[in-house]
Amino acid sequence: MTIVRSLLSVALVSLATSAVAQERIVAIGGSLTEIVYALGQEERLIARDSTSLFPAQALDLPDVGYMRALSPEGVLSVDPDLILTLEGAGPPEAVAVIKSASVPVVTVPESFDREGVLAKIDAVGQALGIEEEAAELAADVDADLRAAEDAAASIDERARVLFILSMEGGRVLASGTGTAANGMIELAGGQNAITDYAGYKQLTDEAIVTASPDVILLMNRGGESEPTSTDLSSQQALSVTPAAQNGRVVLVEGNYVLGFGPRTGAAARELADELYGNTVTD
Amino acid sequence: MIEAKNVRVSLGGRQILYGIDFAARAGEVTAIVGPNGSGKSTFLKALSGDLRSTGEIVIAGRDLKIMKPWQAAGLRAVLPQQTVLSFPFTVREILRLGLLGGRSGVPVRDLETLPERALTKVDLAGFAGRYYQELSGGEQQRVQLARVLCQVWQPVVDGTSRFLFLDEPVSSLDVKHQLVIMEIARDYARRGGGVIAVLHDLNLTAMFADEVMMVHEGRVAAVGSPAAVLTDTTIERVFDCRLRVGRTPRSGVPFVLPQSVA
Amino acid sequence: MALVQNLPTTRFGRMRAAGDRSALGRLVIATLALVLVFVSLFSLTTGASDASVADLIRASFSEDAVISARDRVIIYEIRLPRIVLGILIGAALAVSGAVMQGLFRNPLADPGLVGVSAGAGLGAISIIVLGGTALGPVVALFGIYALPLAAFCGGLATTLLLYKVATRRGQTSVATMLLAGIALGALAGAFSGVLVYMANDNQLRDLTFWGLGSLAGATWAKIAAAGPIIVLALLAAPFLAKGLNALALGEAAANHLGVPVQRLKNTAIVAVAAAVGASVAVSGGIGFIGIVVPHLLRLSIGPDHRYLLPASALLGASLLLLADAVSRTIVAPAELPIGIVTAAVGAPFFLWILLRRRGVLDL
Repeated sequence: MTIVRSLLSVALVSLATSAVAQERIVAIGGSLTEIVYALGQEERLIARDSTSLFPAQALDLPDVGYMRALSPEGVLSVDPDLILTLEGAGPPEAVAVIKSASVPVVTVPESFDREGVLAKIDAVGQALGIEEEAAELAADVDADLRAAEDAAASIDERARVLFILSMEGGRVLASGTGTAANGMIELAGGQNAITDYAGYKQLTDEAIVTASPDVILLMNRGGESEPTSTDLSSQQALSVTPAAQNGRVVLVEGNYVLGFGPRTGAAARELADELYGNTVTD
Repeated sequence: MIEAKNVRVSLGGRQILYGIDFAARAGEVTAIVGPNGSGKSTFLKALSGDLRSTGEIVIAGRDLKIMKPWQAAGLRAVLPQQTVLSFPFTVREILRLGLLGGRSGVPVRDLETLPERALTKVDLAGFAGRYYQELSGGEQQRVQLARVLCQVWQPVVDGTSRFLFLDEPVSSLDVKHQLVIMEIARDYARRGGGVIAVLHDLNLTAMFADEVMMVHEGRVAAVGSPAAVLTDTTIERVFDCRLRVGRTPRSGVPFVLPQSVA
Repeated sequence: MALVQNLPTTRFGRMRAAGDRSALGRLVIATLALVLVFVSLFSLTTGASDASVADLIRASFSEDAVISARDRVIIYEIRLPRIVLGILIGAALAVSGAVMQGLFRNPLADPGLVGVSAGAGLGAISIIVLGGTALGPVVALFGIYALPLAAFCGGLATTLLLYKVATRRGQTSVATMLLAGIALGALAGAFSGVLVYMANDNQLRDLTFWGLGSLAGATWAKIAAAGPIIVLALLAAPFLAKGLNALALGEAAANHLGVPVQRLKNTAIVAVAAAVGASVAVSGGIGFIGIVVPHLLRLSIGPDHRYLLPASALLGASLLLLADAVSRTIVAPAELPIGIVTAAVGAPFFLWILLRRRGVLDL
C-alpha cells in the first residue's frame, strides 16, 4: 500500500500539469466506487450511486439514486467532469442526455470472473489517468483471485450451492447462471445447484428439493428484512435440503460477495472456507 | 301525423308486441292505456327508436328507422318514465340540454330565457338555480318535461307538426300538477302539435285524450274516442276487473272508480 | 348549497341567470391557463442543478454573457422536454378520466381504476419484451411508434371489453363496471406477469423503470412518438362535450335529443384509449390525475363538459408538472418516481373528497 501512496504523489504532480485531469468524478456502481477508493483517488470523487456502500466513507457522498433509474439533471447537478458507470446503468435516455451535456461518461463492462475484475480496475485506471497504480492494484487483486482459483481447482468433489437472493413471503428467488452469484460460487470452487435458467427467478418447492444443495447462501440485504434460520426452517422445501439438515446455511453480504471488485478475492477465499473448511485455502 | 304498421318487438327471445297498428294525428292528444305488462311502454319505446322493432313507423311522411338522430330530434321529443342523472347538474343546465339540437323553433334572442318560460309552464318558476338531485321525484319529473318542451317548443315549424312522446308523465305527481301537466299536453295539441301519452289513469285519459288505444297482451284491444274505448266490457276483458264506467252529468265524459268494483 | 352562486354580471354587463355556471367555467379556464403558464415557468427554473434560465436568456441576447454547455443541455434537453411531456400527459390523463366518467356516467370511472391502463401496459410490455422476437415485424414497421401504438391497442381492447361487459341497454352498472375493471386489470396484469417472467435482465430493467411511472425518460424523440397521438385525442375532446352532457340523462335520452350516441361512444373510447395508451407508453402508470382532477373541477364549475374538459386538461397538466417538480427535487440529486408522488397526494385527497361528499349528492 505504501508503494501505491508514493506512486500516487508522483501521479498527482503529473496530473496537476495535465489539462485533462478530471477532479470531479461521479462513480455509479458499487465496485467502481470501491476501486476508486482502493486506488486512493477518493479525493476526486464527488458523488456515488445508491449501490455504492463500501467503504463506509463513501456513504458521506451525495447519492444520485439507483444506478438503473438515474435522473440526468440530478447527476449533472453535482457538476461532474467525469462519470464512471458500470455496464447496465440507465435508463439509456438519461445516459444519452448526460453525454449530450459534454460530460465524459466512461462505461465499464462487467463480467463475473477474474478477468472481469481486472478489466474493471484497468478501465478505471485509464479513465482516471493513473494506469500504473491501476496495474499495481490489478496485480495484487489478480494474485488474490488466482490463489482462490487454484484452490478451487484442487477440489474434486464440488459442493452444490444454492444462492437465495430473497425469501420475501416464502417465495424463494434463486440465482441461475450468468449472475454475479454464479460467478462467485464458481470462484469459490462450488457448483451452482441451479443451472436451468439464467438470472434470478422464483423457484418452486419441488425444484428446491431436486436441486438438493449442500450449502445455501442467503443474501443479507442489510436491514430489517434480513432472513433468519427460522425463515428457513419454516420453508418446508428448504428445510429438507442437505444444507438445512446439516446446518450449512451461510449469510452473505451482497456488496461484498456480488460486487466483483477489489475485495472479490478475499470474498472467494472466505466462501471457499465456508464450503470446504480451512483445509483448502491453507 | 305518426303512423305505425304491424310493429313487433321481441326482448330476450320473448315476443312483447304482436303487430301493433297505430296512428296519432297532429292536433290531438292520443293516449295509450292498458294494464301492467301489456306492452304500452314498450310500444312507445319502439316509436322513440329505443327498441329494435319490425314493421313500419312513419313520422311526417318519413321513415323513422332510417332517420338520423338529429333529424328525429327535430320532429319529436321524448319524456322517459324515469331519468337517473349521473352528475350534479343544475336545473337550468338540464333544460339547456333540450336546446342541444337547435330546433326549438324560437328566435335566437329568446333562447336564453326559454328555460325560465318552460319552468313557469310546469309550475317550477325560480327553480333554475337548484340542483336537480336535490328536488323531489315529482319536481324532477316536471323538470324533465320542461326540458322536453324546450326541445320542440313551437308545436309547428315550417308547416311540420311536432310530437311529444310522454311515458307516464303524471305518475309521481300530486293531483294539482297532474292537471297542470295534462293541460300542457292539451295546449300543445291545440296549437297544432301532436301528443302521444302512455297513461295509467283512466280518468285523466277520459278527460284529456282525443283518441285512445288500449293495449292488451301485446295486441291492440280497442281504438277510438275515450267514450268508445272505456266501456264496462272492454275494461273487464282487458284489466280483468269488473268496474262500472260512469258518466259525468253534464259533459258525459266517462269515469271509472275503484269503488265500483263488483 | 341549494342555490348555485349567482354571478352578478359578466363582461357584457348583463345579469346572469341563476344556475348558469358557464361564466364561472370560462373564468376558471382562463385562470387555469394562467396557472399553467406560471407552473411551467416555475418548472423550467426548478431542478436539482443550479442551471439558470435567466442566464440562458441573457446568453442568447448578449455576446458578453455565456452559459455552459451543461446548463444549456439541462434546460433544453432535460427540463424543457420534461415540461412538454408533463403537460401532454397531465392533460391526457385528466381529459381521458373526464371523458371516461362521462361515457360511463360515473365519477369513479378512471383509466387506472378500471384496467385500461393495465391493458395499455400489457401492450407496452409486449413490445419491450417481444419486440426483438415475436413482435419484431411490428417494431420494424412502426419504429418509434410501435410502443405507443401497442399501448393504444391494449387500452382500446380493454375499454371495449369493459363497455361490453358493464353496459346493458344503455345503462352502466357501477358495480359491474368496477368489478369488470378489476377483473380485466387482473387479466392484463397476469399476461404482463408472464411477459415479465420471460424477460431477460436488460428488459427487466426497462420494465422496472417504466412500471414505476416517471417522466424521467422525457426526450424530444419520445415526445415526437407519443405527442401526436395525445394531441389528436385531445383535439377530439371538444367535439364530445355536448354529447357527453346529454349522455348524463342516459343513452336513450341523449339519442332523443339528437346525439348520435353510437358514434359518440366510439369516438370517446378511441380517444381515451389513444390518450391513455400513449401516456402509459412513455411514462408508465401515473395514477389519480384522471380521477381527482375532473372531480375537483365538477365541484367548482359543475359537470358541463364544454368547460370541464378544457379545465381538466389545464389543471391535469399543472398538477402533473408540480408533482414532477417534487419528484425531481425532493431527494436530489436522485429522483422519486412521479407515480409515487401522485398516488401519495392523490389517494388521501380522493378519500377526503369521498368522506366530505358522502350522502350529499349521488356520486
